Amino acid sequence: MPKISLNTLAPDFSLNDFRGNKVSLSDFRQKAHVLLVFNRGFV
Amino acid sequence: MAQLRQDYEQFKQRGAEIIVVGPENAPSFAAYWQRNELPFIGLPDPKASVLKLYGQEVNLFKLGRMPAQVIVDKQGVARYVHYGHNMTDIPSNSELLALLDQLNSTSEA
Repeated sequence: MPKISLNTLAPDFSLNDFRGNKVSLSDFRQKAHVLLVFNRGFV
Repeated sequence: MAQLRQDYEQFKQRGAEIIVVGPENAPSFAAYWQRNELPFIGLPDPKASVLKLYGQEVNLFKLGRMPAQVIVDKQGVARYVHYGHNMTDIPSNSELLALLDQLNSTSEA
C-alpha cells in the first residue's frame, strides 16, 4: 500500500468543498497547520 | 467526527485547520454537516483522488475504508500520519493536540 513519507512535502491537492469553494492544501501554507482526516464514510 | 467537533476550538487555538475528506458526494456532505453542525472544511472526493494520492486503502471496499489522519504543518510538510487498522482505530484528540503543541514550540524556537 502506498504511503506518504513523513518530513517531506505533503502532496498538494485541490478539490471543491461541498459548498463549491475550491480548497487546496497549499492555501494553508504559512497560514495554518492542517489536520487532514480521511473519513471512512458517514454512519 | 463528533469528537473532533468537541475540541475544534482547541485545534484552532493551536493554529490548525481541520479538513475532512470522504467518498460521499457534496449533497451528502452538506446534509451531514448541517445535521451535526460541523465547523470544519468538508471535501467530497467521490473519485477518491486524494485518498489515492495519500494511500488510504481504497482497494478494501468490502472491509470498508479505514480512517486515516495526517498532520501537515505550516510549511506544507507532513509531520504525522496515522493509518487506521480498523474502523475504531482513531488517534485521540489529546494525542493530536500534543503533536500540534510540539510543532508550535519547535517553530517558535
